[in-house]
Amino acid sequence: MSSNTLDSTFAALADPTRREILVRLASGEASVKELAEPFQMSLPGVSKHLKVLERAGLISRGRVAQSRPCRLEARPLKEAADWVERYRRFWEEGFDRLEDYLQEIRREGEGGNGR
Amino acid sequence: MATGGDPRPEELVVTRVFDSPRELVFRAWTEPERVRRWWGPEGFTMPYCDIDLRPGGTFLRCMRSPGGRDFWVTGVFREIVAPELLVFTDSFADAEGHVVPPARYGAGPDMPPERLVTVTFEDRGGATRVTVRHAGLPSGADRDLVRHGWAGGLESLSGYLAGAA
Repeated sequence: MSSNTLDSTFAALADPTRREILVRLASGEASVKELAEPFQMSLPGVSKHLKVLERAGLISRGRVAQSRPCRLEARPLKEAADWVERYRRFWEEGFDRLEDYLQEIRREGEGGNGR
Repeated sequence: MATGGDPRPEELVVTRVFDSPRELVFRAWTEPERVRRWWGPEGFTMPYCDIDLRPGGTFLRCMRSPGGRDFWVTGVFREIVAPELLVFTDSFADAEGHVVPPARYGAGPDMPPERLVTVTFEDRGGATRVTVRHAGLPSGADRDLVRHGWAGGLESLSGYLAGAA
């Protein structure tokens, strides 16, 4: 995946409405009308969000007649989340080790010549 | 979960309180022989660590994975306020300290070549709260997705993603 794609993935995810749309789609396909219902938003308003999500590769649209049901495409989402998760884990594990190290020093300080 | 201050949306924020005085914790972050004792993920060692602790100074570290793979990392100190604050850049490097594309380490082309890391050390009555803010994600990135979407229990979404792994 290019950095452009990841950029647009993050940009698409920055909006709470779009995140909710993704969560809704995680439980299955939905039409624009179905997606609009919980948001008190006009169909064109929802369509705009769907376009952003589609451009980011986060959803795909069916070709079926008028309804063109929306489907979640998980891979870009997962790559973005993995990126953040890697770094979170990096620091959390470092913190664990720092905790151990500081404890060790404390013990040495108590047992040794103190200061 | 409480974190230090307001995390900007494009930052990853990790925080923890350590039961040690601030001066000591700060030294554990800035003195090479101390850094080598803990830095990096579980099981990693640090065969090389050089730190030029002054604004504009650089550092170079080599982290060795449990499998024996070396990851060289370099960066520049942007701000140093002992024992309160460290701001530095973070990039992948070669053994000579030259910045290399993250792809060299198999990180994938989406990894930005430079990340900005801000570390604050707050005195908590003899203990120290350390907060790491990790910026440098593509613009518009949203950590909330991880915090609320994954950790916050939107199981359907995380389950779906797990299936897509």
